[in-house]
Amino acid sequence: MRSKSMLARLLVFTLCGVFLFGGAAFGADKVIKIGTLFPLTGPSAVSGQNCLNSLLAAVEVINNAHPELDMPLAAKAGLLDGYKIELVKADHQGKPDVAKSEAERLYNQENVFAIIGSYNSSATKPASAVAERAKKLFLCGASSSAALTERGYKYFFRHAPTDAIESEEFTDYISWLNKEKNAGIKTLGLFYENSEFGKHAADEAKKAAKEVGLEITADVPFNVGATNLSSEVQTLKAANPDAVFGAALGGDYSLWVRTMKQVNWLPKIAINYCTGYQNPAVQKELGADGNYFMGGMSFSPELAEKFMPEALVVQEKFYRPLANQPFDSDSVQEAVMLMILGQAIEKAGALDTEKVREILASETFVSPLSLSGEVAFAPGGQNIKALSVITQIENQKYNTIYPEKFKDSEVIYPMKPWDNR
Amino acid sequence: MKSKRSSTLWYAFLLAALALPFLPGGIGNTFHGHVLTMILLYASMAQSWNIISGYCGQISFGHAVFFGIGAYGAALAVVTFDSLPWYGVPAGAAAAAIVSVLISAPCFRLKGHYFAIATFATVEIFNRLFMIWDWVGGAIGLDYPILEDGWRNFSWSGTKNGYYLGALALFTLVFGIVRRIESHRMGYYLRAVREGQETAESLGVNSTFVKLSAMALSAALAALCGAFFAQYNYRVDPPMVMSLDMSMKFVLITILGGLGTFWGPLLGAAILIPLQEYTRAYLSHLGSGVDLMIFGLIIIVTMIKQPRGIMGIVHSLRKKPETPAASEEICEDREGER
Repeated sequence: MRSKSMLARLLVFTLCGVFLFGGAAFGADKVIKIGTLFPLTGPSAVSGQNCLNSLLAAVEVINNAHPELDMPLAAKAGLLDGYKIELVKADHQGKPDVAKSEAERLYNQENVFAIIGSYNSSATKPASAVAERAKKLFLCGASSSAALTERGYKYFFRHAPTDAIESEEFTDYISWLNKEKNAGIKTLGLFYENSEFGKHAADEAKKAAKEVGLEITADVPFNVGATNLSSEVQTLKAANPDAVFGAALGGDYSLWVRTMKQVNWLPKIAINYCTGYQNPAVQKELGADGNYFMGGMSFSPELAEKFMPEALVVQEKFYRPLANQPFDSDSVQEAVMLMILGQAIEKAGALDTEKVREILASETFVSPLSLSGEVAFAPGGQNIKALSVITQIENQKYNTIYPEKFKDSEVIYPMKPWDNR
Repeated sequence: MKSKRSSTLWYAFLLAALALPFLPGGIGNTFHGHVLTMILLYASMAQSWNIISGYCGQISFGHAVFFGIGAYGAALAVVTFDSLPWYGVPAGAAAAAIVSVLISAPCFRLKGHYFAIATFATVEIFNRLFMIWDWVGGAIGLDYPILEDGWRNFSWSGTKNGYYLGALALFTLVFGIVRRIESHRMGYYLRAVREGQETAESLGVNSTFVKLSAMALSAALAALCGAFFAQYNYRVDPPMVMSLDMSMKFVLITILGGLGTFWGPLLGAAILIPLQEYTRAYLSHLGSGVDLMIFGLIIIVTMIKQPRGIMGIVHSLRKKPETPAASEEICEDREGER
């Protein structure tokens, strides 16, 4: 009796083992593991979660057949001859040292083919250095520090327009306003988080301002996650610049706007880099207080309606059920990078890192989720097709105001004062 | 005087740790190798803090400053001066020792909580200072270029063996110094100051000199750990190294392991670091901070159950089957650990 029971147990264990390990081994043949590295906890957690959800939406497009979508990789299920994408998720908490060790774990232990990430430029830097040393692919959607693509790396590719590109666009717009609308903008204030992203943005803004003869009258950094920005905003108010360029992520952005309301001050225009301005959840929280601010964007539902219709379909079918909000300018770029990687794998015809890298570095890709509709990378990995437009928010709607080609609304200039709204 | 058992344990541990990378399936480029390296690094950091706070009783929350200075020493040598990190390491350690004396000399006039609060403030001051100091990279920090692998650059990409052995050397140095201090006259002076500064002074101990020396030594060793940290992460910026978060790691590991004990920092690191790394690696994808909750819960439970840390638990376990011989041994060990 006892020996029978023992035999039955052995059989169950053996079967479990076969299913668990055997199944994994068979399944592994048709799986392409892609690492995702975002701040899933910490101050940038909301943006990190959005980026991850965006990738999950792209995985859905690639892994299953969606003939109704007019975009590459959608028609058939999977890549190559039936490979499915599997995301291996990691959290860097917004810390560069954690990003570095998680990148190592993803490449060495999880054997991912490539990593997509990492939102915070300061985390992307050491994580992509791991990739470059290991000769593995690292694709970056939203990190905007220009320095990332100035390192001469071969295995690093980035979609987002850099702070340098956006700074030039902002000052171009001010020149246009001065010329066409007689705006009289002569002075500029800089308000930025004291981090890799904020400092880079401010440095690029200074260069661009010098080019067009704007005088910088306020240079105000603040600490990420600050609980009070009164003294910083008072400094801006005292200098009273005509225009302000802002680089404040998530909650810092809403605190900045609210503090300006408290001290009853606004510049004539405030233009933001890729920040809390672009996050629909932040704008919802701000409500009418968020009105008339501006920002550089490469995606908004309004833009998508006209120029990226497929992005809206992906958003409604796959992204909104996960994130409960539309794509934002940062998160959609992570999905773009996965779609581009998928196309490169298809073109390479094999999971060969070197072949895929060569294709990424040399070819132009169709990208219905990008504003420009295509993506191509320069040496160093910057997307030379990256486009950004200037929008102005009104009642949580992003109106495109510049350049003329994309414009759908007239600018409201100057911003309406707090006591006249 | 060290007990024979304590010495055997120390050398056996070092031998086993040294043999690890050479065993089949040892360190390689595994995540476990990373965790082991971090255990040795954080144990060394905690032990350096233990000198001034555990043995000498001066609770410092400012060690991230010295750790950061060491990190910047190595990084400046590599990034700014395009040189080898080895030149920056002693410079960083010396700078940290000097800064620690300059900060501590006025702060040591304060006692207890007031001293702790003063050191707390130094972290914020240095963090802001380094954030706006362009020569050290400001908020952008210093990023390492891709260096050739090997001991010359203290940089490896294909294996963790070099980093592990480097961390083991650091561990041996820091723990070796503390081991020597424990049975040296300096160790007795430190403990005398901790137990009662006035009493120690009445017996002829120059408490100011003892505290400043301990702080300088502690800061220099913390700086060496900082240099290792920068080399390991290819980057340094103020939030990474000069933050209250980093200062708390020095404190937490030592208190969890056992404040003022020789093995406490190692035990604290051996519990906290794997917990932190593995929960993050395998639970963080849930995206809800479950890893951080579990991490916090274990610390709370341990501290409620045994405020003297893990060494307290070890002692209480060793107490139970007490025989005359065993109790004699425990007393002997405690002598060394006090």
